[in-house]
Amino acid sequence: MSPVAEPERRRFLQWIGQWSVVAAIATQFGGVVRAFVPRVLYEPSKKFKLGKPAQYPEGVTFVPTHKLFVVRERNQFHVISAVCTHLGCTVEWKGEGRQFDCPCHGSKFRADGQRFAGPAPRPLPWYPLSMSGDGFLVVDSAKTVPSTYRFAVV
Amino acid sequence: MRTRLTRLWRWLTWTWSPASEREASTAIVENLWLHWFPAKVDEESFGWRYSFWLGAISAFLFLILTVTGILLMFFYVPSTDKAYWSIKDIDCVVGFGWLLRNQHRWAAHLMVLVVFLHMLRVFFTGAYRAQRAVNWLVGLVLLLLTLLLSFTGYLLPWDQLAFWAVTVGTNIAKEVPVFGESIRFVLLGGTEIGQSALVRFYVLHVVVLPAAVLVLFAYHMWRVRRDGGLAVTDPAAAPLPVASQTPPVEGKTYSLFGVTPGTSLETRAARPQGDGVAAASSPHLLRRLILVFLAVFTVTIILSLISGAPLEEAANPSLTPNPAKAPWYFLWLQELLAVTTIRYKQLTISGGLVGGILIPGVLLVAAAAWPFLDRTPLSTIGRWFPRERRAQNAVFALIAIAIAVLVLIGVLMRGPYWQLYWPWQAWPELPRRL
Repeated sequence: MSPVAEPERRRFLQWIGQWSVVAAIATQFGGVVRAFVPRVLYEPSKKFKLGKPAQYPEGVTFVPTHKLFVVRERNQFHVISAVCTHLGCTVEWKGEGRQFDCPCHGSKFRADGQRFAGPAPRPLPWYPLSMSGDGFLVVDSAKTVPSTYRFAVV
Repeated sequence: MRTRLTRLWRWLTWTWSPASEREASTAIVENLWLHWFPAKVDEESFGWRYSFWLGAISAFLFLILTVTGILLMFFYVPSTDKAYWSIKDIDCVVGFGWLLRNQHRWAAHLMVLVVFLHMLRVFFTGAYRAQRAVNWLVGLVLLLLTLLLSFTGYLLPWDQLAFWAVTVGTNIAKEVPVFGESIRFVLLGGTEIGQSALVRFYVLHVVVLPAAVLVLFAYHMWRVRRDGGLAVTDPAAAPLPVASQTPPVEGKTYSLFGVTPGTSLETRAARPQGDGVAAASSPHLLRRLILVFLAVFTVTIILSLISGAPLEEAANPSLTPNPAKAPWYFLWLQELLAVTTIRYKQLTISGGLVGGILIPGVLLVAAAAWPFLDRTPLSTIGRWFPRERRAQNAVFALIAIAIAVLVLIGVLMRGPYWQLYWPWQAWPELPRRL
């Protein structure tokens, strides 16, 4: 063994030692952070049943449990989200002005969800509809559809 | 018997009326709770009108919050089913629970206000310069922690006020570019404000954030001494050359503060004594501290007797109260949110991003960087509104006034649908929906 190798080996071992401490702490920290990202959400499904088509009157009906509006035009249905795209307050339907108003920061949307006043950056999203086997309307709020969308019930 | 009791009391506490200088110093140095004060303090640094004791007041408010908070923890249940009703119990059933909760609420509001005023004081007296820049940064973090403590506490009653203030608050976090969604997801432990969000806010509120405040507060206090005490004493201390210190002697133990650069215990001790500049900390500083504590305690109790902490109906995720307001200290942000959505042709930048993230972010970065950009003469340190600092003091004051005005507009003048009303103007009757 040469006399020069001794301190070099020592420095190398020191380096290994120090960095393994750093790596160990970082790994444990990473594990803790991971624990805070939920793997399972005990939240309502994004796809859910509403009522039967017949129970919705002509016009706009607010569904508080799912924060959305069911709009019926004779046998044509569509669904608009009631969650303001600004900061998540629930908008209200103003029948006389045919518009949705947000109570938090004063955003206003037309009947088709297009914003015309206030700070909201995006229009209210539309969700696709389908029919369950036992005759209920089903909304998939994980997807959005354009405002030309209509779901016809026969 | 009496003398033995007196001796025991003496032994457990400290000399309140020291017979000599030495006894006065020993009283401070030998006591765990007092040793972080210097044995002697310049009289100008504990005058009422230089610092207004704002730092001490915030510390005492934090003490009151800790004690009332721990007591409240015995009665509060952090569950979405029970939280609201346990608060109702605290208000109506638990003996003096209403007083505890009111005092906790008032102390929290006051702490936000006093910490902010403390920051204004430090800026206007230029006390954030040179070696004190680090403590200025620590102070900024403490300000943020105070706001976070207040915000996490806001959700716990689980009433309409709580639920919607936090809805608006966490949706602001969502506007952070790229990471926004994940920040909100981890903060809430899901996509909606529910049980996991409540527990996370609760643990942050009662353990994580207070512990962080405590650690940083201890460092903040230590830095005050390390950096040469209050800035007001700088002009008197400056002329003493460092060389006048006794050179280190081998084998001699030096006090911690004797070896730090700049003004220190040694240099201070070299100043002429007996002319009334320096006073013994025990009892002069302690007496004032106790007075300040009593005043703070009395004010919070009186306010709690006059006006109670609000509790609206239980949280209802499908019914937004109209108007829905953030906590008052965030209302200036809510004002900015409502007016700062930028539209340029097809491009839309949300008010949440501009007013909720960019503007406060820029203000914070500017505040953090300012000690390193400030070029006014160092001789202005420790004086209120010196002529040389007029321009920056004016800008800082304008920002502070703008924030205060926006808060007042938000609190007093925003009615349903965020319309402006005069404070004396009645709001229109709104049909209750559901």
